[in-house]
Amino acid sequence: MDLDTTNWSGEGTFTQVLIDSVWNLDQVRVVRVEDAPSSRSDVDYNFISNELFVGFCSVERVVCSKILGLVPVSRTLTEPAMTVTDLERALSEIDSIGPPDYADEGMLQYLRTERIVPPYQTRGYKLVELVRVYEIGGAPRRTEEHG
Amino acid sequence: MWRWRGEGGAVAAILLAALTVVLLLVLLPLTASTRAAVRDITLVTRDMAFYLEGGSVPNPTIRLETGEEVRFILRNIDPGIAHNLVIDGWDLETMSLEMDASATLRVSAPEQPGRQTYVCAPHREMMRGVIEVVAGS
Repeated sequence: MDLDTTNWSGEGTFTQVLIDSVWNLDQVRVVRVEDAPSSRSDVDYNFISNELFVGFCSVERVVCSKILGLVPVSRTLTEPAMTVTDLERALSEIDSIGPPDYADEGMLQYLRTERIVPPYQTRGYKLVELVRVYEIGGAPRRTEEHG
Repeated sequence: MWRWRGEGGAVAAILLAALTVVLLLVLLPLTASTRAAVRDITLVTRDMAFYLEGGSVPNPTIRLETGEEVRFILRNIDPGIAHNLVIDGWDLETMSLEMDASATLRVSAPEQPGRQTYVCAPHREMMRGVIEVVAGS
């Protein structure tokens, strides 16, 4: 299995939990993590936006059929061992992750928000962590929107 | 059927035609100037920020002229996150929008220069920008 974090700053506690969990799935072949360009921070908030690109292992499946309904033939199909929907189901069963805040056939999205008040300070800031999970090969949507 | 007859009828027809021309001359420029006066400003919400359509600066400062008529068009393209547009000081607010929904706010900028904050109500810490009203040219 291959884990590529070269384009990730390492920020995001939940992102790390997600990486560990995805990494432990047998059907996952490769995980690539990147900082999303929308990450930003100010006095009142710290917005961490990360993207995970997941590649699944391949499995072979033999399909039997009959030509003209008479001659039996078999074909071997190679297909991913998992889909994004299967991944959603698997991650939902993990207590530290749970179901995503948004999911469609090409993307899972997790949003975590908490208020951080550093020691000896009365005024804190809002920590927002947004993690989007895509299957490798599917285009990330931000490229469509940023033009 | 009623018809114009004689000299009186001809005069009335000419007056009516002249009146029509005058009305057209007065009303058409008014319509045109009303259309030109309203400026559309499209704000797109994505990745927990406002962007001007086609822009890449999060929560940009929007500059209006005093008394200017503008139409804010808000379009949410953040999957799974609802956003709205609120201009607190002007008591204006759109409804909360799901992904791919849009809403419009018609605004008349104040006659005095100043600054006003626009926010998304549920994410006001991070989705917050400034509307700057400057003296008209």
